[in-house]
Amino acid sequence: MRSAAKSRLQPPRQVAREDVIVFAVGGFRFAISAAAVKEIRSMEGLHAFTLGGISVQIAKLKHTLERGGVTYFVVDAAQHFQLLPSQPSRVLILRNAPTAVLVDSTDRIMEISALHALPRAFTHEERSWYRGLAVVNGAVVPVVNHHAFLNKAELEILRSGLERVHGEVMV
Amino acid sequence: MRAETDKSYVLFPLGEKRFALPAETVTELARPDSVQTFPHRTPLLTGVLVRRGRIVPVCDVAQVLVGPAAPPRKFYLIANCKRDSHQELTAVPVTGECELASAPRAPLTGREPQYISGLLAVGEEMIQIVALEKFISGEALA
Repeated sequence: MRSAAKSRLQPPRQVAREDVIVFAVGGFRFAISAAAVKEIRSMEGLHAFTLGGISVQIAKLKHTLERGGVTYFVVDAAQHFQLLPSQPSRVLILRNAPTAVLVDSTDRIMEISALHALPRAFTHEERSWYRGLAVVNGAVVPVVNHHAFLNKAELEILRSGLERVHGEVMV
Repeated sequence: MRAETDKSYVLFPLGEKRFALPAETVTELARPDSVQTFPHRTPLLTGVLVRRGRIVPVCDVAQVLVGPAAPPRKFYLIANCKRDSHQELTAVPVTGECELASAPRAPLTGREPQYISGLLAVGEEMIQIVALEKFISGEALA
């Protein structure tokens, strides 16, 4: 009974080790799975994204980036996390997705040993933003859900918008 | 089996007023610790504490119970908060030292907000019992 009660009280914690990239946006630190990032680069080569009404519907989508014949849609992380405008200097190009993310800086790659579930008290957008929380040297760092930077609905808006404008599927 | 009137409560101050939580839900009164914040959109949550390797959300009920004029919070009352079928530790910032008391429950007047689950008569003072789960569920803001 004691262990059952204890398990109800303790939020799930995944113990698998994972390499993450620590980055900063708007004065906050975040982590993203290193396996989700294909490349970290400077902001060179970004093109303003002003296609049709899409940039109004997805306000956080600010730029595109051509890389190796692929078009990446660049999301402003500060806007994604509903922070004040920040000063991005790096672009994280995600793997297996047409998405890249503007961040202020990248810190380091490190290994986390546990991923704590986001407490259930958090009930709003953050539930999709984060996979969980890591404790790094006593500091709590949210581990982002990289699929949320451009979710399925937003990718569908992009797909249909680009079809409408160009008459072809680009996403 | 204890009668409802025999229950113990933790009385906690928020500025000039005191409120109560059932003692059976309270696990700890923690000293000031650094609340760690990260971007989120849930009202009343000001961040999290790390307590013994566990991550505890901080719910600043003072914003609702006494308004923005509440004095600085000095301690964290950590309590089990039931949400759906789960329980989760939640830290409630309080403005002073807490007291354990057993007191008879007084009948609700019917005018209390839904986040008040009962009243305690402690001497001349009528203390409201806080339903913490209503804050966590957001019903306290409705």
